[in-house]
Amino acid sequence: MNPVPGASIDVRQLSHRFSSRAGTVTVLDGLDLHVESGGHVALVGASGVGKSTLLSVLGGLEAPQGGSVVVDGDDLSGLNRRELATFRRETVGFVFQHFGLLEALTAAENVELASSLAGVGGPTRRERAAELLDAVGLGARARHRPVELSGGERQRVAIARALANRPRLVLADEPTGNLDDDSTRLVVDLLESLPADHGCTLVVVTHDASIARRAERCYRLESGRAHESVL
Amino acid sequence: MSWRDAITLAVRTVRRRPGRALLTVLAVTLAAALLTALLTISTTAETRVLDQLSSGGPLAGIKVAAAEPDPGQVDQDDAQPGAPKNLDDAARQEITDLPDVREVIPIVSTRMFVITPARDKDGHRIDPFQEDVVGVDLDKINQLPITLTAGRLPVTGSTSEVAVTQGYLERLGLGRLDAPQVLGTQLAMASGQVVSNGETNRVRGRWTKVTIVGVVAQEASNGQFLASTETVQQARDWAAAGVDASSALDLPTSPYTGLFVVARGIDNVSKVRAQITAIGYSTAAPENLLASVRRYLRVVEIVLSAVGIIALVVAALGISNAMLAAVRERRREIGVLKAIGARDRDVYRVFLVEAGTLGFLGGVFGTALGWLIAAMVGRVVNGYLAAQRLVGVQLTLPWMVVVGGIVGSTLLALVAGTLPAVRAARLPAREAVSGT
Repeated sequence: MNPVPGASIDVRQLSHRFSSRAGTVTVLDGLDLHVESGGHVALVGASGVGKSTLLSVLGGLEAPQGGSVVVDGDDLSGLNRRELATFRRETVGFVFQHFGLLEALTAAENVELASSLAGVGGPTRRERAAELLDAVGLGARARHRPVELSGGERQRVAIARALANRPRLVLADEPTGNLDDDSTRLVVDLLESLPADHGCTLVVVTHDASIARRAERCYRLESGRAHESVL
Repeated sequence: MSWRDAITLAVRTVRRRPGRALLTVLAVTLAAALLTALLTISTTAETRVLDQLSSGGPLAGIKVAAAEPDPGQVDQDDAQPGAPKNLDDAARQEITDLPDVREVIPIVSTRMFVITPARDKDGHRIDPFQEDVVGVDLDKINQLPITLTAGRLPVTGSTSEVAVTQGYLERLGLGRLDAPQVLGTQLAMASGQVVSNGETNRVRGRWTKVTIVGVVAQEASNGQFLASTETVQQARDWAAAGVDASSALDLPTSPYTGLFVVARGIDNVSKVRAQITAIGYSTAAPENLLASVRRYLRVVEIVLSAVGIIALVVAALGISNAMLAAVRERRREIGVLKAIGARDRDVYRVFLVEAGTLGFLGGVFGTALGWLIAAMVGRVVNGYLAAQRLVGVQLTLPWMVVVGGIVGSTLLALVAGTLPAVRAARLPAREAVSGT
């Protein structure tokens, strides 16, 4: 159990644009969002409204182009590439729709990789990986490579990896998009337990209304802004 | 990420794409093999050529004659000696004490009367003849300009065995390939001694029977027979014991016919020659010829190295191309690495190590393959030399070639992998979400 509560998120007047040969597309336009420490929030909306972009900005995958994004007291607007990498490593855990596991490594090694990047030594990170894989019910599959695991199992390994560095914010981008119903249920249960069991804030991007309903708060993205929604 | 983790990840990634890795490693392997084989063959050829030039003796050898130096000849490879000057133990010690001298081997020779049972090609008996017999310490034969071409060398200290030279074969009308025919032939050899009955002098001989056990090419001293020092010394002692020996038989007064001085390396030959000249003796060494040949061989080596290096550079371009393709294909994987906390330098390190791994593997396999190719070429060459009754080549794989092949391939791969690694490191982290 993580004794430190999850990260709070405070987004003000966030704007984000993409430029291409066809022109500039404004994806986020003056978006405001506040998530309490340890909260569980769902982001919903049609394709292309900027859900994943918002998640990228919240997770420090890219810097905000306009406005301010403060996560756990850190204003991401002023961070350079190295500082953003440190922020991702120390504060955030990602869960992707595509799992994002390295095919060359075993389940345990994938989990260990995150700790390795944080400079954690071999015995400690092996112990942590074993503990997390046990926690997601995959202790027996630790030496299996991703190709030898089902979709649901891969996503559970990805969740274990996201937790490796004891993040205060977990961001999940369509975590059940590639899963069957049984696996979806398992993964959603697991994600839902994170704020309480691991002391983190959880933000889930999803198209699935049933998953969104399980969040404490749900925000619908529309016209570049977030509106609190009741599903 | 530590180097160890980066290496583990890189090796696993290489193993995950065996086809591409195999082709890339193969290109480096072939290039490294070409470089190794060419350098091994050229180095062996250089050794062989230089060995031939020194007739099997050390390249750093200097012949010292029992004569004064001729000032106009001292810089010649085979200088004509000046007036006779005895080479005694004192002179030998003085030369031995020179700082850059490794070894001093004395050479003695004496003129002997020889009777051979051999017949010439027309079937006529060969008339008895006088010839110089060269005596050396046979334990140090490998340091002298003497090469065995057939049979074996006389046993050390033996007074009943000799080896003959090509000159003896020619005397019998035989060619180089006929050398085995003379092996086992028993000769009668005699040294003369002048004795006096008070009124007249006469010469009496001390006869010994010797067996020809080998054929050699030798340039230690003039003479068609090579024997142990003991054989020659006994003959000289017999001749010297006669009355007025030196004038009647024209015997040499110098205790040693010559010295063979081995300098500490070819580069010291010139200096040692000058020092011996300063002591007052005439010297000869093939240093100018060797220097010229070495220069030409160096050019050949440079050209062959260039061919191998060009092949390695082409292979490095292959690595660069393969790594750039890998970066394009693995944009999402790179994004994920960054999403879980990898810094730019971590990603750079992973891709650089991956390129280095390909180069290292290619270098190891290539060096081994190159050695195999060189060994096969060596076998073919040795087969040809054996058919020609010539001494075969001993293939040498210089450690510099081994280290250079492996380290060079790895370094070249690291250079080739730098651009792809930089590109990978600069990819935005959002590729984790949007990449393919």
